[in-house]
Amino acid sequence: MIQFERFELENGLKVLFHKDTTTPMAVVNVLYDVGARDESEEQTGFAHLFEHLMFGGSVNIPDFDSALQRAGGENNAFTSNDITNYYDVVPANNLDTALWLESDRMLSLAFTEKSLEVQRQVVVEEFKQRYLNQPYGDVWLLLRPLAYKVHPYKWATIGKEISHIENATMEDVRSFFKRFYCPSNAILCVAGNFDLDFVKQRVSYWFESIPSAKKPPRILPSEPIQNEFRELQVERSVPSDAFYYAFKMGERKSEMYYVADLLSDALGREKSSRLYLTLKKEKQLVSEITCYILGSLDEGLLVITGKLNEGVDFEKLDNELWTCLKQITNTEIDDSELDRLKIKVRTAKEFQEQGILNRAMNLCYFELLGDANGVNEEKYIYQAITSKMLRDTAKHILRKENCSLLKIKSKRDA
Amino acid sequence: MLDRTLAPDVNEIQEVKFVYPTSIELNEHVSLFWMKDVPNETSRIDFYFDAGTIRAKSLISSLTAGLIFSGTQSKDSTTFHNLLDDAGAYYDAGVSHENAVVSFYSLNDQLLSIFKIFEEAMNNVIFPQAEIDEILNERKQKFLVSLEKVGVISQREFQKLIFQNSDYARHANLEDFDRVSRAEIIDFFEQFYRNGLTKIVVVGSIESNAMEYIVNQSKKWCIQNKPKFETKFSNKPIKLNVEKQDALQSAVRIGKILFNKNHEDYISFSILNTILGDYFGSRLMKNIREDKGYTYGIGSYVSELNNTGYLIIATEVGKDFRDNTIDEVRKEIEKLQTELVEEAELDLVRNYLLGQILKSADGPYAMTDLFIGVSHYNLTLEFYNKYIQKVQTITPLEIRDLAIKHLNWDSFSIVTAG
Repeated sequence: MIQFERFELENGLKVLFHKDTTTPMAVVNVLYDVGARDESEEQTGFAHLFEHLMFGGSVNIPDFDSALQRAGGENNAFTSNDITNYYDVVPANNLDTALWLESDRMLSLAFTEKSLEVQRQVVVEEFKQRYLNQPYGDVWLLLRPLAYKVHPYKWATIGKEISHIENATMEDVRSFFKRFYCPSNAILCVAGNFDLDFVKQRVSYWFESIPSAKKPPRILPSEPIQNEFRELQVERSVPSDAFYYAFKMGERKSEMYYVADLLSDALGREKSSRLYLTLKKEKQLVSEITCYILGSLDEGLLVITGKLNEGVDFEKLDNELWTCLKQITNTEIDDSELDRLKIKVRTAKEFQEQGILNRAMNLCYFELLGDANGVNEEKYIYQAITSKMLRDTAKHILRKENCSLLKIKSKRDA
Repeated sequence: MLDRTLAPDVNEIQEVKFVYPTSIELNEHVSLFWMKDVPNETSRIDFYFDAGTIRAKSLISSLTAGLIFSGTQSKDSTTFHNLLDDAGAYYDAGVSHENAVVSFYSLNDQLLSIFKIFEEAMNNVIFPQAEIDEILNERKQKFLVSLEKVGVISQREFQKLIFQNSDYARHANLEDFDRVSRAEIIDFFEQFYRNGLTKIVVVGSIESNAMEYIVNQSKKWCIQNKPKFETKFSNKPIKLNVEKQDALQSAVRIGKILFNKNHEDYISFSILNTILGDYFGSRLMKNIREDKGYTYGIGSYVSELNNTGYLIIATEVGKDFRDNTIDEVRKEIEKLQTELVEEAELDLVRNYLLGQILKSADGPYAMTDLFIGVSHYNLTLEFYNKYIQKVQTITPLEIRDLAIKHLNWDSFSIVTAG
């Protein structure tokens, strides 16, 4: 159970406070309700580029990092298709330094032309390091536009293409900040061994003078219901053939999300899972196979992926895979298998609650979903899932016309 | 009126509380360390074996670690994995040069049943040939994928160079996958697991009778003689480039044999290394990433072994920036050898490191890892008090002299791949 208090400043900033009396550290976590899905298709990769620039200095503070390091702290950030999240971890008696920094960067940014130029280059190198210069690295650059035709999930957080980053101008970046970085579009969490009154006072001191602005409306094109099987095969110089079956599934707030999560565990999370046992151990078609969900806020994906053994072709795998999937859509799983899935989830959740940084991030994320207390309710939702719900969801999701298949063919056996 | 240009006063860290785990002796060389005070239901147990890659020919160590649950006369591997999953356990078996570590993460009320599953496998595993073939196939595919990565290629070659003529230089090659015999794995397991336990680490609020059972049943696996490790490494500096056509980036590894926590310069050197490349505001990050934009990241690390350690500076840069990057690293090192670190920078690094220490001691898991990090080298937590004292008192002159003593550019091996 993660305890928390909630209050809001007049400028619209939502604030959460999590008290932990056991730690000498404090966390300041700021979640901005902006991600790659908020970009225009001609300027992708901006939310992420922007995250890099947010360390280039704010209006009153030329060097963000060193001010925090001098206070014994450290910070980082990440961007997804849905959100941008910044966090600072400091010794508790230097909480003010973190609040000072985060409030100034919410107030206004002030990076230089040079900083823009360098970060553009850094992100281009990140693009290469993570997506282009790795075997199978470009999979998501291919799979997203196959699975999504309209919704901005069709591009990756890093961007659709390098040129969008390379061409970003100062003006573009400024207008992005103006639109998305304001108190009403942010959720702040302070965690540590403090009293609520103290936290209210310090947060107000630093944040309440930031001018309010209207929360930017979000009108995203909704993805039309998929009703055809999609398939793309590409050749790459990789050692073995790889497959990615991506099935559309419910959005984050739906009940189906949780059932699909458990379904993905049943199919391919551990060595006791069905696809692992049938396709790897028994039939020896693959050298590895896993199933997972993306966890995105809007309509998401359940992905089954693996690599073929030498001498096995895609068609053989395809037949056997669909046979396995039919089994789980036709027959309810028994109680012992269901219990096994649930205790694994319980264990995982307990470990995810370790440390104040995780807790602060989770609280902000669930507040974005509607209520920070969701973080405490989630485990009950999982525990209430029945075999029938799993089968119904499997029936609904694991259909051919709901599937996009990407095949990476090894050039070596061409 | 709020003046945002003024930084809030920085408060000093009052004290860092270090907590020792309970220590239970299994024999004269082997102990179990137990951090009992955990304010939630989670638990972790780690078994350390003298079964690292230096103890056998290529692949044997890592394959054996992957086959602990491959099956006994009465239970096949699937049965074992079902049992572990029924207990909600997450498990991991990893090998390094000098150790194999088998870890289980679970709810604390499941720990004893998980131990019993592990115990059954430890005492009865028979390594069925079909399981060996399966893992060989899986690992071979992974190996081939990893060789496509410039980071992996450069790391392999770097280790071969600095550890040349020792067991630490050993690396798997493709043909090794066809030369593994079941007998070798069985022998290795008998010698280095069933008679090679060197340490157990438990974090979690566990019933004492459960702990008693674990202690008693683990005794038979304990190592009988103190394990021996090589002490002499030649460190002949060599430069090597591995071409990889169509690579968009080059991986760069620069470093040398150094020392571990038992060396008198270790603490001071780690402060110097922080300034050079071990935090986000380091000189290498500021220069190579934040000024030039050559890379997504660059870092400098000290990696420790039982009798030695090594320094490694690692990055992946745009192919055209490779030579410039190496040149800039050299310049940064020379600067440390010729110019004194300014008080403002040193002050920042002092505070940053103290904050890191405070964070590393925060919570039972972090505190346990901090303890293991010194006890492995026969040191006590007093080490960290010495560390704090050194961080507070080290002078720019000492730092410069240390850079001259240990960062001689001609003593470095340099490997590039891409």
